Amino acid sequence: MRVVGVPLYLDDKGFDAVAGGLASWPPEGPLLLDARNTKWASPYGFAAMLSLGQALRELGLARPQFAVPEQTETSSYWATAGFFEHAAAMFEVRGRVPRPKRGPASGILLPVTQVRASDDVHDVVERIQKPAAEVFKQLHLESIGAPRFSMALSEACQNIIEHAGTGGWVAVHSYNYRRRLGRRAVEIAVCDPGIGFRQSLEAAEARKWDDRWGDSAALEAAVVHAVSRFRDPGRGQGLAAIKGYLLKWQGKLSIRSGTARIAVVPPWDDDPALERGLPHFPGAQLQIVVPAQEPPTA
Amino acid sequence: MILTLRVDDFLRGAVAIPTRDLLTRPTGAAVRGRIVSAIAAAEQPTACLDFGAVGLIDFSCADEVVAKLLRVLATGRYVVLRGLDDTHAEAIHYVLARQELSVVVVPRDGGWDVLGYATPDMRAVLEVVYAEGPGDTDRVARRLDWTPERAADALQTLALRRLVLAAGGTFAPLPVP
Repeated sequence: MRVVGVPLYLDDKGFDAVAGGLASWPPEGPLLLDARNTKWASPYGFAAMLSLGQALRELGLARPQFAVPEQTETSSYWATAGFFEHAAAMFEVRGRVPRPKRGPASGILLPVTQVRASDDVHDVVERIQKPAAEVFKQLHLESIGAPRFSMALSEACQNIIEHAGTGGWVAVHSYNYRRRLGRRAVEIAVCDPGIGFRQSLEAAEARKWDDRWGDSAALEAAVVHAVSRFRDPGRGQGLAAIKGYLLKWQGKLSIRSGTARIAVVPPWDDDPALERGLPHFPGAQLQIVVPAQEPPTA
Repeated sequence: MILTLRVDDFLRGAVAIPTRDLLTRPTGAAVRGRIVSAIAAAEQPTACLDFGAVGLIDFSCADEVVAKLLRVLATGRYVVLRGLDDTHAEAIHYVLARQELSVVVVPRDGGWDVLGYATPDMRAVLEVVYAEGPGDTDRVARRLDWTPERAADALQTLALRRLVLAAGGTFAPLPVP
């Protein structure tokens, strides 16, 4: 059995380590995802982990085992964030799974939710509007406005419907982003294990890029040049609009697909704009981070 | 003279769950299809799409409902938008400007405006036509102290974009509610 340790912090970088631990894609032999020591997960961590489970299920592979975080506070938060509700269908969950807390949970604007069709996007946006409006007040983001945030969420979710060729996952939380930002932030994560940017754009773009064509070129085509696989003149503007918003909001957009990640990097972050040679993971994993407009906390 | 269509009416039935939000391309395509049918069946050449009871509009849906509607509008048909809030206007302006499309809108506080592609010359001439009513090229040229050729070029552009009505050398504002 291959044991893949889930890092202490399961965020975008933490999930890279998980993808690396798989060694190959698809992973060979039985798999144990060991999250016993994990202390924290971001929306990206939840959505990407469920995408991993979904990908293995869609490939018809044996259900991997998933060892639950041992810290009660952590596992309780994961339950409230909706992770275990969906994980049970994809993993053999090992360990004690607490009940989700009832009522509004601190910071969870949208528990991890499956997106498969247009109606799911309507449902997600309907559910996010009230909590987003409240959190935007707390985070002094009134000038941005919760409606624009919901529009960005809608466009991000539509990437699954329009391009993934399968379903995916979305989650939205606010949290204190101490490690990189030093203040609170709201994060949208939208992940799928579908065909990814390279395959989606291959027919339309590969020839233009010649031997440069690959995951990073596909991300560059989509995010920098607003290219879409559809020929309609209005296509490709969803990501472009999100990018425009995040530049205004000093927010961060990052998208991982295959072996590459592209990011619109704000001044508070030091991620590279483009990373190549990451451990392969199918589909597309998108993250949007909007920082609070407030002084950094100590 | 003008057909008013409440956009939220077309949203009902286009989405399985009750909603006021115009989101996603499939929803937008369904709503546009119904609007196109309503316009085709109407006697009035100008349709006013009322967004007053619509919640959110995302960019993809704005593209499907407004940009694609402008592209498929039959000859002799005109569209005006009203009831837009700031984020509606932002999304619609964004998708139209990227495709060099334009539409006349009636802001919530009255008057008129244009969203999408509009050069300074187009705006200047629209100001004259919408403030002073129907007139010819010479009137616009005199009013703006332009050559008749420049005024004619701008008026022709506005007519081709269906931002003004053109008939027999006279250019008139679209009827706005």
